[in-house]
Amino acid sequence: MLRVMSRRGDDRLTWDDQKIQAGDPEAMAAIHEAERIFAQEKARGATAFRVEGGKTVERLDKFDATAEQIVMVPRVVGG
Amino acid sequence: MSAISLVISMLCWGIIALALTPVIWLLLMPYMKGWSRAERRATDLLHEMLTPEQLRQLLWHGYLEIPSSTEPQRIYRVPRSKGYVQVLENGHAIMRLCLQPVEFLPDADVVVLHKLMIEANEEVYLQKANKYLCHD
Repeated sequence: MLRVMSRRGDDRLTWDDQKIQAGDPEAMAAIHEAERIFAQEKARGATAFRVEGGKTVERLDKFDATAEQIVMVPRVVGG
Repeated sequence: MSAISLVISMLCWGIIALALTPVIWLLLMPYMKGWSRAERRATDLLHEMLTPEQLRQLLWHGYLEIPSSTEPQRIYRVPRSKGYVQVLENGHAIMRLCLQPVEFLPDADVVVLHKLMIEANEEVYLQKANKYLCHD
């Protein structure tokens, strides 16, 4: 799942790993869309984190379709 | 006579109610904010990211404490709503940090943002934040 924080709360995009492995076109389209959003948000300065239950949070520089959950936060500045 | 006084009394109460409505609205507005769709979604994310104990701390104390992964005696105290993040060492406030997203985010998302940044890369978090030293 890809979650992108915004003023609307967070926008979510999910995909099914099993369907991707089976080559399901809808699942493939979802993963391509997630990849596109990831790249777009990164270009805007967002930071991505891999968040998985019971594991340490990790910063993510490249899109990883195998991640259980990716949370993207907008660019931050010192106030 | 009693009918006239009843009407006057009702009119008076009506006027009082009308006068009080904006005041009541102003008082309730901060709480109403929590009912918005964005706040609800952000609260859902917060509930998924925090343990029940951390949620309790946020609710009752108004802040979330995140232990440093590099300095065992250091704790980051993230407020529930917008404000400075306090840095405590051995229980004493040593610094206040100001770091904010460039775009508006619901309060609950801001808490998650701080948590993720501190836990994933504390060094970068500290580099980005503006620091205000605390003097006792």
